[in-house]
Amino acid sequence: MNVKKFFPILILLALQSANAQVVSRETYLKEFEKRAAFITSIYDTVQAAGYYQAAVRYAHGKDIAIADKMLIELLRDPRGDMFWMIPAIGTYLQGKDKMSPEARATMRNAWKTYAPYRGDTENHWCMYHAALFLAAEQWPNLPGSEWYNGKSSEENLREAKEYLIQWMKITTTIGQGEFDSPDYFPEYAMPMILLSQFSKDPEMRTRGTMMTDYIFADFAVEHLEGQYIGGYSRIYQPAVYKPLLSGASAFAYLFFGTGEPTNSGWIVLPALSNYRLPEIIYSIALDRSKTYIHQERKRVRNVIRFGTEKNPPVYKYSYITKNYGIGSLQGGILQPIQQHTWGVRYTYGRPYTTIFGLHPYWSALEVGMFFPEEVKTLIADVVASKGTYNNPDKWTGGSPYERTFQHKNTLIVLYDVAPGTTTEHIDGFFPRNLEERIVEPSGWIACKAGDVYVGWYPLQEYEWKEESDASINTLNDIGRRQLERVKETGNWRLRSYKPQNGYVIEVRSKEEIGSFAQFRSALNAHTPTATLQPGSVSVQYSTLGGEKMEFAFPEKRMLNGSTINLSKTKLFDGPFINAEVGSEKMTMTYKNKKLVLDFKTVKITE
Amino acid sequence: MIDNNKKARRRWNAAWSSLIPILVFVLVVMFPANLLSQESTVFVSVLSTKLFVVGAANPETGVFYKKTTDDTVWQHTGPKNIRDFGLAVHTPSRGKLICIAAGNGLHKTTDGGKTWKTTTGWQVTEVLNAVIDKVNPDFILCTTPYGVFRTLDGGATWVECNNGIKQVFVSSVLIDYSDSNTLYCSTEDGVYRSGDRGNSWKRTGLSVGGVRVVVQHPKDRNTLFAGTDDYGIYVTHNGGKYWEKCAAGLDHSTFYAIAFDPNNPQILFAGGYVTGVYKSTDGGQSWKRMNEGLTNLNIHSLAVDPTNSNRVYAGTLWSGVFCSLDGGASWRSAGLTGSQVWTIAVQPF
Repeated sequence: MNVKKFFPILILLALQSANAQVVSRETYLKEFEKRAAFITSIYDTVQAAGYYQAAVRYAHGKDIAIADKMLIELLRDPRGDMFWMIPAIGTYLQGKDKMSPEARATMRNAWKTYAPYRGDTENHWCMYHAALFLAAEQWPNLPGSEWYNGKSSEENLREAKEYLIQWMKITTTIGQGEFDSPDYFPEYAMPMILLSQFSKDPEMRTRGTMMTDYIFADFAVEHLEGQYIGGYSRIYQPAVYKPLLSGASAFAYLFFGTGEPTNSGWIVLPALSNYRLPEIIYSIALDRSKTYIHQERKRVRNVIRFGTEKNPPVYKYSYITKNYGIGSLQGGILQPIQQHTWGVRYTYGRPYTTIFGLHPYWSALEVGMFFPEEVKTLIADVVASKGTYNNPDKWTGGSPYERTFQHKNTLIVLYDVAPGTTTEHIDGFFPRNLEERIVEPSGWIACKAGDVYVGWYPLQEYEWKEESDASINTLNDIGRRQLERVKETGNWRLRSYKPQNGYVIEVRSKEEIGSFAQFRSALNAHTPTATLQPGSVSVQYSTLGGEKMEFAFPEKRMLNGSTINLSKTKLFDGPFINAEVGSEKMTMTYKNKKLVLDFKTVKITE
Repeated sequence: MIDNNKKARRRWNAAWSSLIPILVFVLVVMFPANLLSQESTVFVSVLSTKLFVVGAANPETGVFYKKTTDDTVWQHTGPKNIRDFGLAVHTPSRGKLICIAAGNGLHKTTDGGKTWKTTTGWQVTEVLNAVIDKVNPDFILCTTPYGVFRTLDGGATWVECNNGIKQVFVSSVLIDYSDSNTLYCSTEDGVYRSGDRGNSWKRTGLSVGGVRVVVQHPKDRNTLFAGTDDYGIYVTHNGGKYWEKCAAGLDHSTFYAIAFDPNNPQILFAGGYVTGVYKSTDGGQSWKRMNEGLTNLNIHSLAVDPTNSNRVYAGTLWSGVFCSLDGGASWRSAGLTGSQVWTIAVQPF
C-alpha cells in the first residue's frame, strides 16, 4: 500500500509518540481512539481489494458495496492458509450484519471449499485454531460436508477449543515457545483479540481477553519506546538492526502510544476491536522512572529429533532503564533460524537503535531438530523463504557454540566453535549513527549513542568491515516477494575469525556514570582475563559495578563466588510481573494496582 | 445327431477346460508380468514444489494419480497444499479407501476421493506415513514426529502407541502381511517391532540413527530391508534379530526408499540422497546403479507396477516423477516436474 501521502501525519505522530508517558485512563483512551482512527483511515480509502480494506469499510458502515465487491473478488481464489483464515474471519465478523447475502454466502462457501494448511509451528496453530473456532461458532450445526476438512461444526469447534486451551496451559506453565518475537507478536495478538471480541462462548471470550493481556504484559515489561528488549525467539532482517520495523512496534504504537505507525495490515483488526489494554499494562510499558531487572523462563519450540527433551527451557535476563535495555538468552539453539540471543537497544538514533553480536551458524542438524522433512535437503527448503539462513553475513540466528552470562548491565558472551562448522567467525553489529566508536588502548571499544554508552571488549583479534548494501530476493512469511536486507551501507561489522572467542559488554547511561570520558576511564580500569583454548573457554571479570563474574563455556556461571543456577528461573520474575513455573497464573503489579490472570479458574482479578 | 453333436461339444469343452490351468501356468512361467499386463493406476503424494512457503500462493500439491498407460497428465484428489508426506491406498477396495498422511493430519476417503475427512485431531500433526491393514481396513496406523498413532475403528478414535520407543520421530511403519499383530517402524534410533498391534514396541537388532524406511519382503515375512540417513541399507532375514549391512555395489549412504518387485522379490530398487536408482536382482546381495535418463538423483519414493514388472516409478525431490518401462534400465520424466514426490503407490486397477 502507498502511504506516502500520509508521511507528514506519520512523522507528526511518530514525534508525538516518541516520549510517551503514563497518562490517565481517560486520556489514554482518547489517544488510543485517535491512533486507531488514524490507522483505519489509511485503509478505508484504498481501492485495491484487501480484507483489511473491506473490514474497515464494514466497521465504519461506509462503501459497503465496495467492501462486498472486494470480498467476493478475494474469495474467488482464497490463498494464505492461516494467514488467510484470520483476516477472512475477522473481516466477516466486522461485516456480517452489513454485507450482502452474496458476500456472506461467498464467505461461507470458502470455508467449505478451501482447505488451509494448519502449519508446523506455534503461531500457525494458534491462528488456525482461533479462526476455525470463530468460524465454527458462526456456522453451527453444519455437517462435515459443509466444511473443508469433512468435520462437522461441532467437531471443529471442540477440536479448536481444545487446542487453544492446551496452548494457553503450556504457555502459562512452562512458557511460550515462539516467545518475545518482535516479528511474530501480531500472529498471537490478532487471533487472541478476535477471540476476546467475537467469541460467543463466554469462557473463550474471557480466555481470549486474558491471553491478549498476557502477551501484552509479556511485551510491556520488556518494552522501551516501541522496541522489544532482550533476546527473542524470532526476528527478521532488517528489523534486527532497525528495531522499530518489527510488527510488535506497530502494536506498541497503537496500544502503548510509542514506536511508529506503520502500514502493517496486522494492526487494522486490533484497531477496529473493542479490546482495550488494562491500565496496568500500559503503565508497565511506559513507566521507566526506575531501572529494573526482569527474568523469564520460556520454552524451546518442539524438538522433534536430535534431542532428548521436547521443550527444553529458555532463560531470559533483561536489564531495563529509561534510556536503554540489555537482554539475553542463555545461548545455544533455542529456536531455529531467526533467534536473537542478545542485544542492547536504546532510545537514541532511530532507526539503528541497537548493538548486538552472534555466531552466524546454520546446519542441517539445527533445522532437522525442528522440521520433519529430510535433513539432507532441509537447508534448501528453508532458504526458499528465509533467504539469509545460510548467509555467512546474516544478522540473525542462534548457535550451539554460543553462551551468555548477564548480570545487570554487564554481559559476557563466549564461543567455542568446533572446527569445520559452517562459519568459524563471530560478528558484532555497530550502527552507523553512533556518535563515537573509539578503540581504546586497553582493548575496549567505547561507543556513544546519545546519553547511552556501550563498551565492547573483544577477547580475540578482529577486523572492522564497513557494510555495503546487500539484499536477497526471497519470499516473506505470507509468500510475497521481498528484498531481504542482509546489510545496509555504513553500518560496521566487527568480525573475528578465532573459534575460541568472546566479548564483554558494559552499558551505562549518562545518568548512571556521568560523561562519556568517565565511562571510557572506567572501562579502561576493568579488563577481563580469559582462557581461550579448544574445550576450555572461560573469562574472569570485575564489572564496572565492582562485582566479580566468572564464566566458563558452556554453563558454569559464578557471581561473586556463588554459582548461578538458571534452572531456578521463574516464569516471570521482576518488579512488575511475576509467575511461578506451572502456576497458570500471572500477577501484575504497578504502584497500588494489581491484576491477576488465573487460567486455572479463567478469572481476571484486579 | 443332435445328441452326438452335443456329446462331442461337451468332450471338446471338457478337454479345453482341463487345458486352461496348464495354459495359464505356461503363460505365467514363460511371460510373467508382461503378457498379463493390464492398466493400473499410479498414485503419488507431492509434498511441495521447490518454493513452498506457508501462506503463499503455492503451486498445487497433494495427491495426484493417473493411469499407468497415460503419459504425463495427472489428476488431483483430496485437499491441496496441506503438506502431503504419504498416502496409503487400500487395494482390496480398489481405491475406494485412501488415506493421506499430511501436515493437517490423516485424511481419509471411502468413496474413491469424492469426499474426504480429516480423521485426526490437533494432536496428530505432520503425519509422515500411513498404512491400512489389507484385511481389516478399520485398522490404520500413521507415523509422525511425535510417534505412532493407531485407529481400530476407521479413524473415529486414535490412540498414541509409543510405548517402548525411545526416539519418537517415526518416519515409516508397516503391518506384517501375514500377521496384523506384528508391526515394524523406522525411527531415529533404529527399527522397532511390535507383536501386539503397537501396544508395545521393542527395538530390533538395528539401532543406527535416522532410519528413514523399513520394507518387508512380499513373500518372506522375516526378511526386511531398512534404508537410513548416512548408514546405508540393512537387511534382516530373521524378523529383525540381527541385521546385515548391504554393501556390494552401494556407493551411497542415505536411502529414503526401497521397493520390491511384487512379482519377483529377488528384484529390489533403492534410492535416496543423490543416489539415483539402485537395482538388485539377487535379493539385495548386490546392487547396480541404473540412472540412464534420470535428471535428478535425489530419489524419495519407488514403486514397481504389480501388473508389469518392467514398469517402475521413481519420485524425486524437486523433479517430479520418472518412469522406466524396461525394469530400470532407462528412465524418462512422467510429469509433475518441480515437485517433491514423497510417496508412490501403484495399484492393479
